[in-house]
Amino acid sequence: MPTLSRHDAEDLLYEEARLLDERRYDDWMAMLTGDAVYWLPLNGSGGDPNREISIIHDDFAQLRDRIERLATGVAHAQSPPSRTARLISNVEVAQPAQDHAIVRSAFLLYEIRRGKQLLYAGRCEYRLRFDGRWKIALKKAVLVNNDEVIDNLTYIV
Amino acid sequence: MATQLNLEELVQDSRVHRRIYLEPEIFELEMDRIFERNWVFIGHDSEVAEPGDYKTLTIGTQPAILTRDEDGEVHVLMNRCMHRASTICQEHRGNSSYFRCWYHGWTYNNKGELIGMPYARGYGSHFDRAKFALIKAARVERYRGMVFASLNAEVDPLADYLAAAKYYIDLFMDLSPAGAVEARCGTHKYGYDGNWKFQMENGVDGYHPNFVHQSFFEVQGKTLGRRVMRLFTENSSYESKDLGNGHSILDMSSKRPRQNRPVRNILRGATSQASTDVYMDSLLKRYGPDRTSEILGASNVNLAIFPNLLIIGIQFRTVIPVNATRTDIHLAPTTLKGVPEEINVARIRAHEAFYGPSGGGAPDDVEMFNRCTDGLRVKGAEWLELSRGLEREQITEDGIRVAHITDETPQRAFYYRWKELMCGMAAANKVRRLPSAGNF
Repeated sequence: MPTLSRHDAEDLLYEEARLLDERRYDDWMAMLTGDAVYWLPLNGSGGDPNREISIIHDDFAQLRDRIERLATGVAHAQSPPSRTARLISNVEVAQPAQDHAIVRSAFLLYEIRRGKQLLYAGRCEYRLRFDGRWKIALKKAVLVNNDEVIDNLTYIV
Repeated sequence: MATQLNLEELVQDSRVHRRIYLEPEIFELEMDRIFERNWVFIGHDSEVAEPGDYKTLTIGTQPAILTRDEDGEVHVLMNRCMHRASTICQEHRGNSSYFRCWYHGWTYNNKGELIGMPYARGYGSHFDRAKFALIKAARVERYRGMVFASLNAEVDPLADYLAAAKYYIDLFMDLSPAGAVEARCGTHKYGYDGNWKFQMENGVDGYHPNFVHQSFFEVQGKTLGRRVMRLFTENSSYESKDLGNGHSILDMSSKRPRQNRPVRNILRGATSQASTDVYMDSLLKRYGPDRTSEILGASNVNLAIFPNLLIIGIQFRTVIPVNATRTDIHLAPTTLKGVPEEINVARIRAHEAFYGPSGGGAPDDVEMFNRCTDGLRVKGAEWLELSRGLEREQITEDGIRVAHITDETPQRAFYYRWKELMCGMAAANKVRRLPSAGNF
């Protein structure tokens, strides 16, 4: 069983950021485990998602629907699509079990769409599982402004 | 500019002028004549369930606080220190018995009474604290846990104001076997660079879903997606209704609802048979079979309460006018009291799938409001056409104007009320045609 170094974790996060900026969502989905959860909490770091609403709380099937919908060509809030560039930093790694790692990071996400520039910032928590290679079982993205008005966040953070 | 405006001409029986979405002067008149002289939706009882609970909000564009005092009474206080104008409460929500203005330390209790000013000797012996209580909404009334307020003491009783919408609010609440919902699971907040009326029009627009939300229906699978799309075609048997006072509904009541079907709200979140059975049994026990059928049949709701509330799916949607071309939207999804947790989890997941800033539906609506606001800038195309169904809408025996679900009857109902409040009843009646006896 491999050890996940910070360097390994950074490589994985950089690859993910590049795929998302290029909107290569099928390739991004391939980085996830089949039971992955993609979670954007509302109101800070998030409580029990079964008792509090989230901005997004997708299981793998819902995430597949989300990606498919964006690809229909008539998902108007992404037509034209948001163009993004994201910086990943402050990467920390913990490995509580041999096949299980927790990676924390900070991100800065720039977006432009319809002439409007936006900047989002936040922290991510990843649960990774080793299955031939390290895969993402949970991506939890905590936006700093997740209790404020956000008009249109229809791409993948 | 205001003197040049002839409001009466800008809203006609089947069309409205682009300027009502753009002009700051008209927006200011709307705040005065619509939001500050009539009932507006404030929130739900359960948002301030405990003594000391509060949440901040706006009435029109005026900052206010909804509080519950230690005696359990609910108050709507204007968020403005009576000394030198600073807001006294800065949080979205919280729990506090007191509000202190941190400019000079004036302190109020959650009933709005001024209970102290620092160094009070400076005000002399004749200073009357009672005259410096926070301004309160002149009227606060509730219907089925929904809190409404008015800054106008002379406004009609809330129950009269809600008119025929009460019947549909009852159906929404009665989905709970305890007859009550709770709005305590968070607030989705989003908005758009356009006028507030776009969202009020859209929330009860049965003509747009197959175009704006085509992408969502497409990924729901062939059977389900197509079934939903059929609801919004020319062949649909569903109706739009003018409920009076500017309120309206897309009535998607099923004629033959099945009591044992899993709870499906907005396509996702089917529940297990065990939870469904417990839920159905409790409904039947409380309401009996006929009312239970009626409640379940009407569980797919799009209800507009003039001027600032939409009840859609499981949510209270408050439309918040910021200025003529900026609007915020708050969604407060509800859970049902007295049901297995799984039912409420399914409601929450279904809500998230379609609504909020990352939903599969709501952002596409918002995109249209932004596009409309861009298009409004074209001069020469002055009017927005709202005539669909004008020739075929009918008035039922109980006085409700009914039309096909894709007709623009709800939008005309909205603007009839708008005109009544902005220009007077006589002006509004001048443009309202009686429907012809056509069929749809």
